[in-house]
Amino acid sequence: MMIKALSAAGLVMLVLGWTSVAFAQTDCKTLVPASPWGPNDQTGATNRVTAAVTKAAAAEIQEGKVVPMSYPLVDGVPLFGTRFSKTILTATTLAPGAALGENQLTYMEDTWLSQSHVGTHLDGLGHIGRKDCYFNQTPMGKYINQNNMTRLGLENLKSFATRGVLIDAVKVYQQAGKLKSNANCKKPCLDKGTVLSKADLEAGLKMYNVTLREGDIVIIHTGWGDLFEQFPAKNAEYNSGEPGLGKEAAAWLVSQKIVAVGNDTWGVEVIPGENPKEAFIVHNILITDNGIHILENVRTDLMAAEANSTGRATFFFNMTVPRAVGLTGNFVGIDGIR
Amino acid sequence: MSRPATVRERRPRALLTVGAFLAALSLVVAAFPAASQPRRFTIAFANITEEPGLTVEGTGFTGADVRQSFVLAARGQPIDLVLYDNHQDAAKALANVADAIQRKVDLYIQYFPDPAINKAAAEMLRGAGISVLAVNYPMTGAPLYGVDNRAAGRVAGEALVRFAGGAWAGQSMVAILLGNLTDQANGLPERVQGVREPLTRLLPATRIIALDTRGNPAQVSPLLGKAAAASPNTRFLIAALDDMTALSAKSALEVLGRTADAAIVGLGCDRSVHGGASEKKEIDPNNRGSILIGSVAFFLDRYGYDVLPLALRMLRGESVPARTPTRHILITTANVWREYPPYDMQ
Repeated sequence: MMIKALSAAGLVMLVLGWTSVAFAQTDCKTLVPASPWGPNDQTGATNRVTAAVTKAAAAEIQEGKVVPMSYPLVDGVPLFGTRFSKTILTATTLAPGAALGENQLTYMEDTWLSQSHVGTHLDGLGHIGRKDCYFNQTPMGKYINQNNMTRLGLENLKSFATRGVLIDAVKVYQQAGKLKSNANCKKPCLDKGTVLSKADLEAGLKMYNVTLREGDIVIIHTGWGDLFEQFPAKNAEYNSGEPGLGKEAAAWLVSQKIVAVGNDTWGVEVIPGENPKEAFIVHNILITDNGIHILENVRTDLMAAEANSTGRATFFFNMTVPRAVGLTGNFVGIDGIR
Repeated sequence: MSRPATVRERRPRALLTVGAFLAALSLVVAAFPAASQPRRFTIAFANITEEPGLTVEGTGFTGADVRQSFVLAARGQPIDLVLYDNHQDAAKALANVADAIQRKVDLYIQYFPDPAINKAAAEMLRGAGISVLAVNYPMTGAPLYGVDNRAAGRVAGEALVRFAGGAWAGQSMVAILLGNLTDQANGLPERVQGVREPLTRLLPATRIIALDTRGNPAQVSPLLGKAAAASPNTRFLIAALDDMTALSAKSALEVLGRTADAAIVGLGCDRSVHGGASEKKEIDPNNRGSILIGSVAFFLDRYGYDVLPLALRMLRGESVPARTPTRHILITTANVWREYPPYDMQ
């Protein structure tokens, strides 16, 4: 029995050892650029959110109006494949006679069993790589265990307290006379497969006389989120593709030194992609190569309406990300404050 | 004697010259916007058919798959696409050509099987000064893009030979050609010929059996059952001429309890055998033990990505090959997500 156990242990060691060797063979310097913030950087683009950036963004709070920018996370919203998000309520003290003390205290709490990339969520720096190479040439094979990453986790991120800029791509397409809405959308939306170009983004900024600043977070309204809001009826259509950023637009956003880009789709980039042989290439461009975060399933329609009615497309971006050690991303709550 | 102009004196003249040049340049740009933007071309694509569910070229792909590939591939290109459906109908095909001539398209891409109609269409288009590109079926004087059934068959045959050499060397084997073997219209006899070539060359002692389903997948099970019963201690190298036949063969072998004796290669590689990360199709990196060891790609869902660049080269006056075959490669669990990256795991 012991020999068999030792053999099994040896086999496991061999497999683990082989795995490590295989990972270590990738030269990440040839696959991923170095971070502009130095070889030890695990923070990425939130390095740009300096005190001055936050202070300047605070000027966006003029009326104190808070605009919700996240969707409810509940059973039935669009999720992919085996992804799930379930809660279990603990409410034992509500049973007859189970209240505590003379004051009859009762309490409840939840067990949340969920994948992190569900609902309105942030893609962290450890979410996307090339082979085993992640942001800042990190050979991730050396930094993962069964439970989490030991580098590039969410705990390394700085604040997202910066200026948000809305780009209303629906309006851009409407004004250019090229909007072909998806029949399943109740409100105007760009159809899946629509490639947002640099020119589209520039037109959206020009529409509201906005020039991007270093440290901004860009939020794009495509209208595709209308399908999310119809959950679960339109989940299959929502997941079947999406309008979104093309490679040229992503590269331009990188050149603008933004912190994050989000929109009302599940993947931010155009699906099907421009090159059918590339997988989520915009994720690589933004996260792996430049440490710029992606925000998915952002609710954008309310802010788009706000911008449309006021002529102002900028706001204070209010979002906190849990210091969840070693996580690749997490669901978030976002408010735009005006 | 005039004195030389000083630097200060020269500057206004230089500025005037630069100003005049910039003004002239802006006039040129305004007059010829094409000079500042790439020229856009109007390209027509006349699809063989878009009848729902109707498959083409002896594969599981539909005309809708082909059309969608053109729509997707045109994004970001200086192309205004005009789409036609030939409905597999001669009169409709000619009417589409006439319409395209009236629209003054720059180039016409014809996907239609009738040689006589293609000849007439080529003459009409050439008479109107419109370039022509043919898909899968030749048109006189037009570059041809498309399927190479014989080459695809060879890829399948070679894959079976490789598998036999690695797994069953020295064992008794029979090669089986399975499918709609005599479907001339879709070039399946050429596919069969292609499969035979490496088998006869590299496994000369292996008997080859032809099982013709005549296009009826329900025939796969009885035909294979009979063949399996006749060869009890034999391994089967099965070339299934399309993916549906390949999947039917796998099911039949499971019922017969002979999966350990068989290796199958399909042809087509449509979405019935591969798919997204959550779809758990037969050719999937997480399903490495399947007896369906691969399927030869026909890439009808990528035609647009291959054909439109050829069209643009023609319109820019560059030369293109007279014949550009589809890149038929074997898709297996090892390369399926490289060739067909899934996007359903986000």
